[in-house]
Amino acid sequence: MNDIIGAGPRRVDGRLKVTGHAQYTADHGLKRMAYAYGVYSTIASGRVTRIDVDEAQRMPGVLGIYHHGHFTELYRPPKMKLNPDKIDRLVKVDESRLPFEDDRVYYAGQFVAMVVADSFEQARAAAYKVKVEYKEEPALATLAQAKRVQSPKTAGSDYSRGDPQAGFDKAAHRIDVTYTTPVETHNPMEMHATTAYWEGDRLFVYESTQSVIVHRNTLARIFGLSPDKVELQSPFIGSGFGSKLWAWPHSPATCAVARLVGRPVQFVVPRPQMFTTTGHRPATEQRLRLATDDQGKLLSVRHESVNSTSFTDQNTESCGSVTKSLYSCPNLAVTHATLQVNHGTPTSMRAPGAAPGLFALESAMDEMAEAIGMDPLAFRKLNASTRDESKDMPWSSNHLQEAFDKAAAKFGWDKRTPEPGSMRDGHEIIGYGLAACNWDAMRCACEARVSLRADGTAYVTCGAQDIGTGTYTIVAQAVSKITGLPLEKITVQLGDSSFPPGPVSGGSWATASVLPAVAEATRDAIEQLKSFAIEDGPFKGADPKALEFTNGRLVKGNDALGFGHLLTTRRLSSAEGEARTQTADKSDVSIRSFGAHFVEVRWDPGISRLRVSRVVSAIDVGQVINAKAAANQVEGAIVMAIGMAMFEATHYDERNAMPTNNDYAEYVVPVHADQPPELDVILLDYPDYALNEFGARGIGEIGITGLAAAIANAVYHATGKRIRDLPITLDKLMDEVPQTV
Amino acid sequence: MRSFQFDRAASTEQALKAGQSNQAMYLAGGTTLLDLVKLDVMQPERLVDINRVGLNRLERQDDGSVRIGALVTNTTLAQDNYIVQAYPVLSQALLAGATTQLRNKATTAGNVMQRVRCHYFRDNVSPCNKRKPGSGCSAIEGDHRSVHAVLGTSQHCIAMHPSDMCVAMAAIGATVHVQGPKGERTIDFLDFHLRPGDTPEREHALAPGELITYITLAPPLANSLSGYLKLRDRASYQFALASSAIIVQLQGDRITDARIALGGVGTKPWRAHEAEQSLRGQPANDETFRRAAQLALQGATPYRHNAYKIPLAQQAIVRNLQTLTGGVA
Amino acid sequence: MSDSISPNRRSFLKSVGVSSLAVASAPVWVQAIQAAPVDDTQQSLQPGEQRITLKVNGQAHTLNVPANAILLDVLRDRLQLTGTKKGCDHGQCGACTLHVNGTAVNSCLSLAVSHDGDEITTIEGLEKDGKLHPVQEAFWEHDAYQCGYCTSGQIMSAVAILNDPSIGSDDSSVREAMSGNICRCGAYKNILAAIQSARGKVKGAS
Repeated sequence: MNDIIGAGPRRVDGRLKVTGHAQYTADHGLKRMAYAYGVYSTIASGRVTRIDVDEAQRMPGVLGIYHHGHFTELYRPPKMKLNPDKIDRLVKVDESRLPFEDDRVYYAGQFVAMVVADSFEQARAAAYKVKVEYKEEPALATLAQAKRVQSPKTAGSDYSRGDPQAGFDKAAHRIDVTYTTPVETHNPMEMHATTAYWEGDRLFVYESTQSVIVHRNTLARIFGLSPDKVELQSPFIGSGFGSKLWAWPHSPATCAVARLVGRPVQFVVPRPQMFTTTGHRPATEQRLRLATDDQGKLLSVRHESVNSTSFTDQNTESCGSVTKSLYSCPNLAVTHATLQVNHGTPTSMRAPGAAPGLFALESAMDEMAEAIGMDPLAFRKLNASTRDESKDMPWSSNHLQEAFDKAAAKFGWDKRTPEPGSMRDGHEIIGYGLAACNWDAMRCACEARVSLRADGTAYVTCGAQDIGTGTYTIVAQAVSKITGLPLEKITVQLGDSSFPPGPVSGGSWATASVLPAVAEATRDAIEQLKSFAIEDGPFKGADPKALEFTNGRLVKGNDALGFGHLLTTRRLSSAEGEARTQTADKSDVSIRSFGAHFVEVRWDPGISRLRVSRVVSAIDVGQVINAKAAANQVEGAIVMAIGMAMFEATHYDERNAMPTNNDYAEYVVPVHADQPPELDVILLDYPDYALNEFGARGIGEIGITGLAAAIANAVYHATGKRIRDLPITLDKLMDEVPQTV
Repeated sequence: MRSFQFDRAASTEQALKAGQSNQAMYLAGGTTLLDLVKLDVMQPERLVDINRVGLNRLERQDDGSVRIGALVTNTTLAQDNYIVQAYPVLSQALLAGATTQLRNKATTAGNVMQRVRCHYFRDNVSPCNKRKPGSGCSAIEGDHRSVHAVLGTSQHCIAMHPSDMCVAMAAIGATVHVQGPKGERTIDFLDFHLRPGDTPEREHALAPGELITYITLAPPLANSLSGYLKLRDRASYQFALASSAIIVQLQGDRITDARIALGGVGTKPWRAHEAEQSLRGQPANDETFRRAAQLALQGATPYRHNAYKIPLAQQAIVRNLQTLTGGVA
Repeated sequence: MSDSISPNRRSFLKSVGVSSLAVASAPVWVQAIQAAPVDDTQQSLQPGEQRITLKVNGQAHTLNVPANAILLDVLRDRLQLTGTKKGCDHGQCGACTLHVNGTAVNSCLSLAVSHDGDEITTIEGLEKDGKLHPVQEAFWEHDAYQCGYCTSGQIMSAVAILNDPSIGSDDSSVREAMSGNICRCGAYKNILAAIQSARGKVKGAS
């Protein structure tokens, strides 16, 4: 045993990343590789009536142009429920319609054709020459438009306890407020990409995916192949934030055209289509009704959420999922429903449900506190839950009160004067705001293989993937902890569907799922090693249980033998271990992560400038595995949350549902200069063994939850303006904006 | 991206000769042109690379003015010691624009020639009078929050001019030197960019085949202070929502002369003459500043999503003046 | 050199092998990627093509390229120098930043033919004799990345900024100067820390 867990070793794949040698999907150049480029619908609703490829077909280098009526027959993947115990068998897409399946157009930027050519520029040039005629139909661009013509469709995830209406009616203090959040787009830096080729009936694919296994399974179904005929690799992923969880139309389309042209084909989704055909966080409208007694105890909470979805699929943003249990309240109801708009199908984006949901709930908590005349911190501390009232179970480990106290102390919450606009510094008005953050703790089935090799090294394979969170490194740390080997002697391979099946990298469950399997496989390899050891040599005939394995050596009494030496003398290549671990037993305990954000904003009313100047967050995510990577995850989530709070919104023209800011210039995300000068993340580090032997829960999403509300609350404190519609842009805070005709 | 013929010119003469052919375009830094060729919005048959024609010198003239070669990069210009000292507003405006690596590529003439950021212009599909005269303007009734104007707009186009550098030059005063098949001529900087009016497809005063060779700045206003203030959503790497370039000459606490130009709000780099006039002879105080700001925007047309730009531009003027004159802590 | 990569089962495995994460095995792979110079002199020019010479990371390549070929794509598709990334293709993200004659520029907005004779340094050219550039070392040490996709561009910008005396050394000057490199993972705090820690170690190293 050593103290590698919780330490902050630099990443084992770091050298590849800083030298440019980490290979992402589009970095795999193959001999005779051709390039594909899409033709995308320029209407958001209607039919394709004619596709004229004559001119495009004659352009230099063009190998083929494919579209509805001129394409391969594909199979639809079945709709399956996500079962964490069988995640390795999951088949899933968000957009159920297959590429070019019919002549319908459901959203702008939908694939209507794909051009394959010898070079990227040739493919792009020819794609511009494909002439598509449409019969355009009226399109719904926004949730507000959809609301006028549709009734919300329930999502089937309603929940209630007690009598929320009665609780509300008898309360001393009440609020009834509605919040909205816009469509946000993930925009990972690496655009989605597929590089595919066929060898007979075998399909080989490089894909930027958050799940090589599920993506493999899905492609196999779409092409009618056994999964063992499909091999998919994703050794490095330029992040996903949810957009790369499941296959989007470009992936099967690229595989299909690779077969049709008989060559390897590379396809990269252009940045504008990263906004249309690879998912997004849907728009939400959330009505919050809260009520308390005269002491500030919550008596009733209702959280009703409606989100936008596509005309092809219903995808629910479960905004109220957190609301069910974060605070103690006897009467509570949560509902979810959807409205259809002419956008592509939405998907999970970092902390789905919780990110927009906690913006609403934690804004409402501040509004409620103000209605009562309570300090927002005291109000939350008074109402924090002591058990999961939605499941009627105890929490496995809830340190929210400590998170509030530690972050408040470090932030200096006691220096806040409650009156809005009361804290000034020169031109600027300072605002303090806070919010709780919260995320589920989940674990999936996972398999792993560990070899202890004759050269004294360990070699680990797992069909999980590292989307940038540090999975390679924490797997090496786990093996190091058990074997005592230094990280340099541990090779970790992930991101290959031929490896033992690993989980999806999403939901903040990869760490909690992968590490137990790796640990179990490591111990299994050690058991095999012991079985070799007792056949001959100093440990001949010993009881394997009497052999200890420390620092890479088998030890009994005064005898010690390095495993490399043992294997070499027996002319054995390795001792092999394998394991499959299942989900955690949650039958009598509820497992979630908790934390608190404190934010300082500075508002300069003379130039309408709003900046986040300070963030202090205290979060309990269970045992921290890698201190560097863990803090980085939360810090990065906070940066993304600043974007969510202040900048990000995908706009659609209300007349025709065409996106109007689908590029990286007009879809505003935080840049270096937006980084708050002070950003402190405190990780409480309480191991939670209810979830796994490492006590780790997961850390990717929680940081983005609650922060937008903390900013909105700070903005209110600075300006006296309660902004209920994200993002909080400067124009919403200005006085005296002239009326337009 | 479409195919085109490519020629590298070794001299201005060579460039002009090659530039006369049909659908030829001059390629400088490429930060606008290649962006728009990739989108197929600009459709050159021929690109004439002028990067090595020798127009990359920055020369101080005897009267204190500066002659800027067309190919001087935005970085070189912004960092030049004399520019920093004599024309702070220009250096600041340049550094407020784009990014380090884009400024390293972008040239002075290219910055002047940059195209609008209107999404309907760039999407190559929507009706756009600039791209396809007579097809209509999608922005007026569509989305126009960030990169559309409130000054100088017409019923045919409301796209704003996106440059920061040009706003500083409009304040300083400058002359654009051009060469064409008919020889050399000069264009006053304020006449170079055109309001959209009935012909939004005409953005500037260059005739076909003409090439910008130099821009000459007016000599610095004696004993003046100058500065550029740019307001935007995020802290960097975004076009101005509103900006002001201001040069002010003070005697004691009284303003003797001033130049004001606005960015982010005009269909061209917007000089505010009336506002300047209102400052002359007036005490440097908030009342004076607010009056100037009012005048600068008095002809503005607010649209549904960008009306906020009117008070925002006024703020950009008032705060810039406050800071320059030290009038307010 | 593209012949060395073949789309068959063996090469599939081969590319897997080269992306092995064993720290010890990485240098072997690095050498494999810095292959022989490309020389198209013997290939006849196709219509619309021009012959150019690019000196990339100290190695001269003679290439026949179409006039509309973008420098970024030529480096990636012709020279297999895939360390330089495409994040937007329109100068809106900075992932493609590299150095042309020592100056940081966006390679996605550069025609290859415009760079005939230019000296180009990509992320692959920073490492010297198996020793990382101090900025690379600092990024590794400070966890100044997550997914790593924008990292090449971040590092190339950082090296240029540290070598530029006109850019202030304080945090806010560095943040402003680095703002042309978007990191969607939001590792800005660590990137700043890495850059500041490499300050003073850069002179003479690059």
